[in-house]
Amino acid sequence: MSLLPITLSARGVGHRFGARLLYREISFTARNSEVVAITGHNGSGKSTLLKIIAGLLQPVEGNVELQINNTLTDPAHRSQYIGFVSPEMALYQELTAVENIRFFGTLRGQHYDKAQLRAMLENVGLKGRGSDRVGDYSSGMKQRLKYLIAVMHDPEVLLLDEPGANLDVHGTKIVERMIGDRRNAGRVTILATNEPEEEHWADCSIPVAAV
Amino acid sequence: MNNQSWVQQSLALFRKDLLAETRTRVAFGAMGVFSFSALLLISLAMVGLKGVMLQNSTGQSVPAWNNSGKMSLLWVLLCFAAFAGLSHSFVYEEETGTASTLKLHMMPQAVYAGKLLFNTTVLLAVSLVITPLYMVMTGMEAGTIPMFFTVMLSGTVSLSAVATVVAALAARARSTGALFGAVGLPMLTVLLVLIMNAARQCYIRSESAVQYVRPVIGIVGFGVLIVTLSALLFHFIWED
Repeated sequence: MSLLPITLSARGVGHRFGARLLYREISFTARNSEVVAITGHNGSGKSTLLKIIAGLLQPVEGNVELQINNTLTDPAHRSQYIGFVSPEMALYQELTAVENIRFFGTLRGQHYDKAQLRAMLENVGLKGRGSDRVGDYSSGMKQRLKYLIAVMHDPEVLLLDEPGANLDVHGTKIVERMIGDRRNAGRVTILATNEPEEEHWADCSIPVAAV
Repeated sequence: MNNQSWVQQSLALFRKDLLAETRTRVAFGAMGVFSFSALLLISLAMVGLKGVMLQNSTGQSVPAWNNSGKMSLLWVLLCFAAFAGLSHSFVYEEETGTASTLKLHMMPQAVYAGKLLFNTTVLLAVSLVITPLYMVMTGMEAGTIPMFFTVMLSGTVSLSAVATVVAALAARARSTGALFGAVGLPMLTVLLVLIMNAARQCYIRSESAVQYVRPVIGIVGFGVLIVTLSALLFHFIWED
């Protein structure tokens, strides 16, 4: 794993949906190994802020920049460096877990052999379930698979929207371990949460409140 | 994301869509049910017209149910089948929440190319089954064989290009039915006029190759125009 300097900066970010102003002047910087929690009530715009960071949504005000090795990344290609777990980002129900992993891996230029796939599935507690269709998975198993796919390209920045959603105690521990591993590897993790336990995983919190 | 070229990404999406289609049969199901029921209705409705002759404006006797008329109905059938089946390609991604996942992983042009490739393959497969059946059931002749195949191939590919971009627009607008018709109709009208113009040529004997080539160029040109504009503008449709 590389230890290139990573700097994710949000400067004066504001967003609105139609006439409804969501928030203004959100600013923060996250560097190597940092875990940042975005907190706020339901509907405060935490998920929207994560989408803006991922480059999936353009903010109405301000901007988000990602520098890797002191070089500014092209906003259009920012998602190349990002992994994202969100309730809004689904996997293909009609495909098996392995087919989903292979498909999303291919899109990122990565190919896995059977041994690698087995190890990856075992790592998130899905050992022996790779040939099952995702549609037959429980919501917790789907969440575990989302984690696997989000981190399989070892992204510089990992965005987690409601990280513990649908997960049991074992699943939550896997996420906690994953965040720890990423911290040790110098990667940045941003999580959006309402849960005080999950907020404790972070080094700092950015409160988001609807205007 | 861009570790892969857009060509490789679009091929991966095409393979994924084919695999998913073999399991869900959403597109083939919709197109198959529509096509076979329409085929049956047309055949039954036209039984009474077999052998009936009409007088045209010059006083000549012509069959009431001629090859050009049969070809027109075939294309109406294929158009509706395409719009019934291919509209799902983007709507399905939006409705199941996989569109956001694709946006994170894929370049917009790759999404468009992958979907276009899949839709064209599906429509060609449906056309390959429906056209011979239609010819048997209605007695439609192919006329000039190379011209017939060229019209069928270029028309099917262009029709798929129109259906793909309209499906993308409709899925993003979240008002599928209304927008599908409103945006699709102008493009479809032009395409059908071009196809019918070329299809007539299948049944007219001509010594000049230009008479055959010109109408085909019209269809191919329109298809290329739609694909080019769609590829250039697709990211405005696809991204939030």
